[in-house]
Amino acid sequence: MQQEASVRGDQPSKATMEFRQGSAIRQLWETNLEVFQRDKMALFGLFIFAVFAIVAIFAPQIAPNDPLTPLKNNEGDWIKDAMPYWLAEAGEDEAEGYVNNFLLGTTNIGRDIYSQLIHGSRSALLVGFSAAAAVAVIGTVVGLLAGYYGGWVDAILMRAADVAFGIPFIPFIIVISAFLDPSIWNVVVAMAALLWRDTGRVIRSQVLVIKEQAFVSAARVSGASDLRIIFVYIAPSILPLSFLYGSFAIAWAILTEASVSFLGFSDPETISWGFMLQDAFNSLALSREAFYWIVPPGLCIMLTVMAGFFIGRGYEEVLFPRLRRM
Amino acid sequence: MSRGVAFYILGRFLQSVMVLWIIVTLLFLLFRLAPTNPLASYIDTTFTKQQEAALLARFGLDKPLGEQYIIYLVNLLKLDLGDTFSYSGKSVLDLLGADLPNTIYLTLTSLLLAYAVGVLGGIVMAAMRGSMVERVGTTFTLMTRAAPQFWVGMLLLTFFAFQWKLLPSSGIGPPMVRYRWETEWDKLMSPVFWRHMILPTFTLALYLHGLPLLLMRSNMLEVLDQDYVTMSRLAGYSEWRVMIQTAARNAMLPVLTALTLGIGYSIGGNVVIEHVFSWPGLGRTLVRAVQQADYPLAQGAFFLIAVIIVFMNFIADIMYSLLDPRVGASAQAQAS
Amino acid sequence: MSILSIRDLKVNYETQDGTVQAVDGVSLDLEEGQHLGLIGESGCGKTTLLKAIVQVLPRNGHIVSGEIKFQGMDLLKLPPAEMRQLRWREIATIPQASMDSLNPVQRVGSQLTKLLRVRGGYRKKAARKRAVDLFDMVGLDTERLMHYPHEFSGGMKQRAVIAMALALEPSLLIADEPVTALDVIVQHQILEVLRELERELNLTVMLITHDISVVAQVCDSVSVMYAGRIVEEAAAEPFFASPAHPYSLGLQQAFPNLARPRDELVSIEGYPPDLREPPSGCRFAERCPFAQDDCHETDPQLEVVGDGRLAACLRSSEMDALRIQAEDPTLWQNVEVARGLSTPHPPAPSSPHESLPFGGGRPTRREGETFVGSTTTDGSPSLSMGSRGHRPAGEGFGEGENMPLLQMNDVSKQFKIGGGLAGLLRGDKEQTVYAVNNISFTLRRGESLGLAGESGCGKSTTGKLLVKLLDASDGSIVFDGDDLARVDDKKLLGFRSRVQLMFQNPFEALNPRFTLYRSLTEPLIIHGWKDESERTQRVVETLDRVNLRPAEVFLDKYPHQLSGGQLQRVVLARALVLHPDFLVADEPVSMLDVSVRAGILNTTRRLARELGLATVYISHDLSLLQYTCDRIAIMYLGEIVEIGPSNEVINNPQHPYTQALIAAVPAPDPTIENPPLRIREGVPRPTEQFIGCPFAQRCPEVMEACLEIRPPVIGDERGHQAQCHLYGEHRDSPKLNREAQLAR
Repeated sequence: MQQEASVRGDQPSKATMEFRQGSAIRQLWETNLEVFQRDKMALFGLFIFAVFAIVAIFAPQIAPNDPLTPLKNNEGDWIKDAMPYWLAEAGEDEAEGYVNNFLLGTTNIGRDIYSQLIHGSRSALLVGFSAAAAVAVIGTVVGLLAGYYGGWVDAILMRAADVAFGIPFIPFIIVISAFLDPSIWNVVVAMAALLWRDTGRVIRSQVLVIKEQAFVSAARVSGASDLRIIFVYIAPSILPLSFLYGSFAIAWAILTEASVSFLGFSDPETISWGFMLQDAFNSLALSREAFYWIVPPGLCIMLTVMAGFFIGRGYEEVLFPRLRRM
Repeated sequence: MSRGVAFYILGRFLQSVMVLWIIVTLLFLLFRLAPTNPLASYIDTTFTKQQEAALLARFGLDKPLGEQYIIYLVNLLKLDLGDTFSYSGKSVLDLLGADLPNTIYLTLTSLLLAYAVGVLGGIVMAAMRGSMVERVGTTFTLMTRAAPQFWVGMLLLTFFAFQWKLLPSSGIGPPMVRYRWETEWDKLMSPVFWRHMILPTFTLALYLHGLPLLLMRSNMLEVLDQDYVTMSRLAGYSEWRVMIQTAARNAMLPVLTALTLGIGYSIGGNVVIEHVFSWPGLGRTLVRAVQQADYPLAQGAFFLIAVIIVFMNFIADIMYSLLDPRVGASAQAQAS
Repeated sequence: MSILSIRDLKVNYETQDGTVQAVDGVSLDLEEGQHLGLIGESGCGKTTLLKAIVQVLPRNGHIVSGEIKFQGMDLLKLPPAEMRQLRWREIATIPQASMDSLNPVQRVGSQLTKLLRVRGGYRKKAARKRAVDLFDMVGLDTERLMHYPHEFSGGMKQRAVIAMALALEPSLLIADEPVTALDVIVQHQILEVLRELERELNLTVMLITHDISVVAQVCDSVSVMYAGRIVEEAAAEPFFASPAHPYSLGLQQAFPNLARPRDELVSIEGYPPDLREPPSGCRFAERCPFAQDDCHETDPQLEVVGDGRLAACLRSSEMDALRIQAEDPTLWQNVEVARGLSTPHPPAPSSPHESLPFGGGRPTRREGETFVGSTTTDGSPSLSMGSRGHRPAGEGFGEGENMPLLQMNDVSKQFKIGGGLAGLLRGDKEQTVYAVNNISFTLRRGESLGLAGESGCGKSTTGKLLVKLLDASDGSIVFDGDDLARVDDKKLLGFRSRVQLMFQNPFEALNPRFTLYRSLTEPLIIHGWKDESERTQRVVETLDRVNLRPAEVFLDKYPHQLSGGQLQRVVLARALVLHPDFLVADEPVSMLDVSVRAGILNTTRRLARELGLATVYISHDLSLLQYTCDRIAIMYLGEIVEIGPSNEVINNPQHPYTQALIAAVPAPDPTIENPPLRIREGVPRPTEQFIGCPFAQRCPEVMEACLEIRPPVIGDERGHQAQCHLYGEHRDSPKLNREAQLAR
């Protein structure tokens, strides 16, 4: 009994999913736990999300100023293009009639960049998580149905996936965003409408594999109904895969939202990091080398996207041990 | 080419046509969703009702939806994409025809660069699995994939164009030069053009190299576990042969597919890069068209991009069946 | 001079759970021209030994100590580059799973010529010529050089790998399980090729296998490995005549043997020791029926026990006497009983159904059957299938006994592949696979039937039809009076409770995410057992019945914590937990180690008798079927070509195909050399229906009539039937030249 396990230890485990123990929910919980225990980077990703989540929740408390209101000096003029206080020349602010306590300076119409950065985390996380959830849920359901029932259901759903694969993603989002009322939800809707395709295909092929496994046939021979087989036998095995794709989808959603905002198709009333960069780009911050304006939003995007990647890779390593970094 | 493979290709082709037809239909419906009258930007407040009606008739917008749809399909088949609103009525096809080559140059150059680096990098990462180099390398690659392309572009612009003034900041050439190139060939032969290519190409390639690298790495790791790789080790082949000739060759197949798909998706996804570098390509035109409510142009650009994507998906399918004898043969066996 | 000499070799694997001493002090000598068979079960270290010799151990494996000398060179001190040069030129290896050893995207011919050119320094032309010669030598059509591996059958791939192994005329050939997973006829032919080549090329061969009959057929000497050690070494004939180690004795007795059928097979109960902490005494002691106290303490060394024979057993001097005792299977079972007692045995569960007459031989258990329904749904018999309802109340079960439980009437199953709209769009042409064609048989209660045939003969499809995992395309399957094609959901559920399937691969047959308890209660939950304590009781009782004792220990285990043999017992338990009437066992032991196979077979056979279970065994292994079944049906291309009482079919086969199958089974006895087969390997793909006999293409006796007229079913009064023209009115039809046939 021990022997079996130990001898198999020297052989590469199958590329199919390797699961250890548990009832459906406990199992999922333990897989998740294993991901974060085994992979410190995934844990780091989780940490990044946690920090940004706290920032997003308490944004109004943390941000010193309103992100949209231009700040004014004593004379009522906008405090345009103020440098961060740690870069600005001493005394300049007094000469201009304001107190420079701006961590990251102000924009060309006098908005506080640091406050914008804080508020930007809200749209990033909101879009990231809701789009990822939508993509994962739709993809999982499509994959389950197509893989399990096959035949016409499969043919229709997979042709739909082909269509989704044929629609150019960014242009689609741009058009949707332009036609609907400006809102960060446009990105979520557009992503949900297209990006289920990858998740759906992968889940489907995994369902096809699991469906053919002897333990599923055994359940059928024992008289288990279709629903029982789907929910008790197949779904628990593919849920970690949905989580994997979900984590990556968070990353793509944040990136996409940033791109769309950068192109100017977002709601100008909602601050996002992409919007900030668009603002910087359009107001020629580049030629002024205003790094304090350009760098922070980009870094924030990169950090949150990487957090999604790290978590996704953590799942990958648990689900596909062959790829494991040893 | 055998009958089986031919059948397979024909079937795939028909399927692509069907997919395209559905996309085109969706596109038609999508543009009926547009919040404003498609002629809003055209119609002056001083227009009379008659003038408006005439204009609507000119664009066929007074007919019932079904009829419009038929006209639309017929026009697409004739490759008649209509006239633009905003570029003084220039034909959409002409305008896009001028943009397309620029997008293709940018895309292909970056893709080739990215895949060359990515494939080699992937092999190295797989060979050095578990080492410090691998950890640093893959983390760097992940960072390039996580960083928004436009942001990387902005940073590069700030340094190379504005701070050090080494490279041009936008466009494909100085404004007056643009019209001096009589032919595409002249353009490609012009050093000025290539100088303008450097920054956007590098930015795009930096982003694109991640996929082939990570894919190649994981394929290599998978293939290295296969029995035929063990076999070639047992046969006493040198490690170089085992890694390159046997493992890498087999691991390459999915990467080539990704490259083919990547051409399609990059052409549609270059929007952001083209915007940052004011690169006169399909993406930038699409953005502008949408911003200016120039619907025929936007629709045309969208259509063109979709055609390219569907076509490249088709090519990727075919290529896989030709490159991997197993796939080709199963199609063959089933038809014979 | 010995060509290979291994001294006290130790190889360890570092795993997460500790260091596994996979090879622990092995010494071995291989003389030039010797054909050594290295026998052992999975995990005994035989493959590790091979990997150590050619130094391709996985990265977590390393050689701790010892010496490997090849032609006087110390391989362990050789620089890697020189070692690499040695591989294939001097030591060629046929790896395990050689099916997958060919590069799928390269033509087989170019793989061979590349090898010749790169490793052998051949020029282009010479390489091509040599490749042709090699293909000739292993009996492959030289046209095949241009083919890709996926166009090869399993046997052809194996031949190609042998050709590659011999390409550079190595002085030593190491073959790891060269015929495992091949059909018997192919296996026979590969062994024939190996035997011929051994003779012609005067090869030195080390053959690694778990199958002692393969060793008997191609080797002249034998080493037996157990738990990282060599426990016996001898020349082949004396070894097979009189094994000198209890483990070898057990292995030999555990093998069903067509020539010498046994009433009860020996099952070596228990499992090999944990090699992370090997026992200090004899490693086999725990499973050995002859173990004495000192066996558990003293580590026996390999010692000379006769003319050139070595064995590592403290009681080797008494071996002659032990050998006679070992014939008795109960002796081996006693080990298990003793082991069972050593762990605290829980009190027997007080089951409300304890009074069930399970112990009895014949199935009086019909009364018992009610509780499948009654404990669940207020005693109504709704959950069992029809016939019970039809039967007048109070009538005994005696009559139903003679009524067939199951009838297959002209059942066919076709699969359409590549069809449908999706297929049309994809350009796949529709094609029909005739998996099962017009088969008919009946099965009485308590009877066991074996389905045999090469892979692709439709036996597994038949199994799936029997349990209604698939529905028949034509014909009817009647189970206890109900046509399976016409059962409603309710009746289907009843059917599901009475018919069960046992799977080939125990590692896949259980949900890896379920505890064994969960897996075993699932059927009960599905069939409406609401009371958890009753379920638990039934589960415990069933585990106990399949000899997983004490059952409580196993309830919380997950499949990966069990060995293959234990898992297969759990699979059996799950099949029996609902107390079915009918069990289909699809290759129930083919994935298991030899030493535990017999245990599973014995348990299944015993329980089937006790429970009055009708059983269908599906297997490629005729000796197994002879051992377990009352009747055997031989299938070929979806048809039953011969059926009859087991001993009749085995000892007096009528159909030429049956005759070939039996002749191909290697005898575990080196003195019996299998006669050359007169039949071609490779089952054609069943994509067309035959006008005449499906076997005509390969039949050595083929006549004109066979090609055009459907053969008649000819039978005798004992129910032995064959579908062949040799016994019908066309028996005098002119014979066809077989060579001409083969050429077609």
